[in-house]
Amino acid sequence: MTQRALTVTVTELSVSDLCQLEHIEEHVVAEVVEHGIAEPLAGEAIDEWVFDGTSAHWIKKAVRLHQDLEIDWIAVSLVIDLMQQKELLEQENERFRIQLGRFMD
Amino acid sequence: MEFKDYYKILGVDENADNKTIKSAYRKLARKYHPDMNSEEGAEDKFKEVAEAYEVLKDEAKRAEFDELRRYGHFAGNGFEPPPGWQQAHGSRRQGEAQFGSDFSEFFNSMFGGGSHEFDFRGQTRQQQSRGRDVEIEMPVFLEETLNDKQKTVEYQLSEFDGRQVKPVKKHLRVTIPQGVTEGERIRVKGQGEPAMGGGIPGDLYLHIRLVPHPLFDVQGRNLVVTLPVAPWEAALGAKVTVPTLEGDIKLTIKPNSQAGNKLRIKGKGLKRKGSGEAGDLLAVIKVVMPPGGNKETQALWEKLSESAAFDPRSEWSNAS
Repeated sequence: MTQRALTVTVTELSVSDLCQLEHIEEHVVAEVVEHGIAEPLAGEAIDEWVFDGTSAHWIKKAVRLHQDLEIDWIAVSLVIDLMQQKELLEQENERFRIQLGRFMD
Repeated sequence: MEFKDYYKILGVDENADNKTIKSAYRKLARKYHPDMNSEEGAEDKFKEVAEAYEVLKDEAKRAEFDELRRYGHFAGNGFEPPPGWQQAHGSRRQGEAQFGSDFSEFFNSMFGGGSHEFDFRGQTRQQQSRGRDVEIEMPVFLEETLNDKQKTVEYQLSEFDGRQVKPVKKHLRVTIPQGVTEGERIRVKGQGEPAMGGGIPGDLYLHIRLVPHPLFDVQGRNLVVTLPVAPWEAALGAKVTVPTLEGDIKLTIKPNSQAGNKLRIKGKGLKRKGSGEAGDLLAVIKVVMPPGGNKETQALWEKLSESAAFDPRSEWSNAS
């Protein structure tokens, strides 16, 4: 079954959105931000924080790792940091491979 | 109903203590966690392991499971609980799937009754379940990042039509904001998997992948283009035409340019989100020899060789 194309917009998430969607408490979001796993796009007080999709993606991962592997936030932040570094290195590696190809040709 | 031997799933003895169970779970969870292992089947394996741990770590649930394991019996490929077990263990709704739960039918028949539902993190939820978030890769051409760009996204979801789960193709038109970068995720609310049983649908996450360009490489906000020049253009200088994402421009190569020299063209890189501000285009000189040649050009090269008296490897002789 195929559905017709629907025009939608890209949205950001508030702390209450995140808490509702991921079944977490506000203090969990605070922990994640405190450990540098994600950074709010805007907002001073915690209930004003707004996150983009990239931050939401890493927050979700962090919460899953914290709950499923029963590891503390410092360990979670290390894992997330390594995951982000791995993603960056893979992108960089791909870029250098293409760049090298241009010089070798 | 398929019987789940939670001891076997965790690879522990039925007399194992809590510490052994926890340790077995942690090892398997680390191995199969969907965030650590992207192989096919890893997520299902992880859910199975999490379900086993959810039961065995809890004294009451474990006792209930032990009782069922001891007195239930296997008929063909199925499993039947001991007679009267369903009635004796609360208001379970036999045969009714617990949609929204990530646990098996076997688990739900034991613990999933009433208004409670469990997800695979062992959280009890009284609220309606939510559909799964979906992440798909979204290829974006560099040219498309210069302005807001409407793109059509096609992906497949599983939808429950009241009787069975069916694959459904979805088509969405999404505005990709100006200045998106490699690896970024953008959220499209409510376009993930629908929730079984009328809950809120999950979200769609578009994982931006910038398509490698045949000419330009991306370095942050800057673009890099390799600029091939003839040896005499590098020596004498030249005016050359250089491509940018927004059309050709004229560029001056200074006399005595070296291979690898970078020429910076301001504002012709990728745009920053929110502002029109753009990075730069860096043209990296690559000196290219002309193919072959005739007697006349050969003679000219020889003449150049004699009058230039240039040793490009002088650093080597100084070092030895």
